[in-house]
Amino acid sequence: MVATVGGVLAGLLALPAARALKKKFSTSPAPSGYDASKHKWLMCLDVDKCIGCGLCADACKTENHVPEASHFFRTWIERYIIKKPAPATAAARGEVLVDSPNGGRGGFPPALVPRADILKSFFVPKLCNLCEASPCTQVCPVGATFDTPDGAVLVDPSYCIGCGFCIQACPYGCRFLSPVTRTAEKCTLCYHRITRGLLPACVEVCPTQARVFGDLKNPLADDPLQAFVQENKVNTLKPHLGTNPRVLYANLDKEVR
Amino acid sequence: MRCFQMPPQVFRVVLLIFAIGVSYLVARTLLTPASFHEYGFYRGAALAEHTTRHEPVFAGKLACGVRHPDVLKTLAKGGHKNLSCEACHGVVSPQHLTDPTSNMDKPSGAICLRCHEASPSRPAGFRQIVVKDHYAEKCIECHLPHEPNEVP
Repeated sequence: MVATVGGVLAGLLALPAARALKKKFSTSPAPSGYDASKHKWLMCLDVDKCIGCGLCADACKTENHVPEASHFFRTWIERYIIKKPAPATAAARGEVLVDSPNGGRGGFPPALVPRADILKSFFVPKLCNLCEASPCTQVCPVGATFDTPDGAVLVDPSYCIGCGFCIQACPYGCRFLSPVTRTAEKCTLCYHRITRGLLPACVEVCPTQARVFGDLKNPLADDPLQAFVQENKVNTLKPHLGTNPRVLYANLDKEVR
Repeated sequence: MRCFQMPPQVFRVVLLIFAIGVSYLVARTLLTPASFHEYGFYRGAALAEHTTRHEPVFAGKLACGVRHPDVLKTLAKGGHKNLSCEACHGVVSPQHLTDPTSNMDKPSGAICLRCHEASPSRPAGFRQIVVKDHYAEKCIECHLPHEPNEVP
């Protein structure tokens, strides 16, 4: 009896809290007061911190309702294995093997290469590189893909005709044609979350802070991004293509493409 | 002296070009969405549409902290201080948000091994175990996931 009364009381007390929570974290419709011109979002990655758990790839699929099949990804993890050089050669490093079984979702199975043959191995998380000169935006014939003033590259699903030019143009393989919407889809930096003041889902669940997300226009300058860029020697993927990716990688090996 | 008069066939061509130009401008005005050049060569309204395209699924660590400040305080002391609740416990269910008596699933040892199983690809400084040399997939028999530094 006492337990029941206690339970009811607790329930009654919890209701306003739950309502407040719901109000705060699922604001609908559009979050008011969000001004795209006052932000410049960016995600950076630290290769030395990624442990290949695959939680980010899982979270991205859940958060963004990405089709289940194993070739649709907005973010994924690649495992690089660099073998020891053949004994009689002058090369410093051997063959480079790259795999990404199911995008790294659910973690990686043990490598097929014996440990003794591995010179070094590491995980590289991948996502849209948020290029300054984005090839995907340039080739879109209908103006359906665009660089937003706050740093994301988005696809307008009501304008996209699903021609697939952008998918071919992206040198990083970050886009796919969704079988559900029949439009091109890609990482949106979790635009529905960041405009509500939440972190992108992959950053939220990353256990090692391999993914650093921040706002370059943050007036408070307490942004994790600024510390990341100050403390690390950073590089971009495929810099020779002139796409000027904004996404920076710390501790990137030259074999990573 | 006769003043210059445009030959009728030239006049017709000029009229046709003018009509084409006007119909192009009319069609362009009617077919271009209102917000098309707001930010650039795309629909400005698409930005706002993206914010409401989905509801957030992951509630975030801050949301959990509203009702579980004690757990977050414990967590902040140990090696798992940077871990988000939903990384191990899974996405917070709508039932759990509205009904506090509906518990979240307790994660099993498999989720621990997802990060801590030894792999040559993991950074060397990261704590890893070889399961068969260690004990079994029953991590929480000995370790406290919320305060992993407290080793029994």
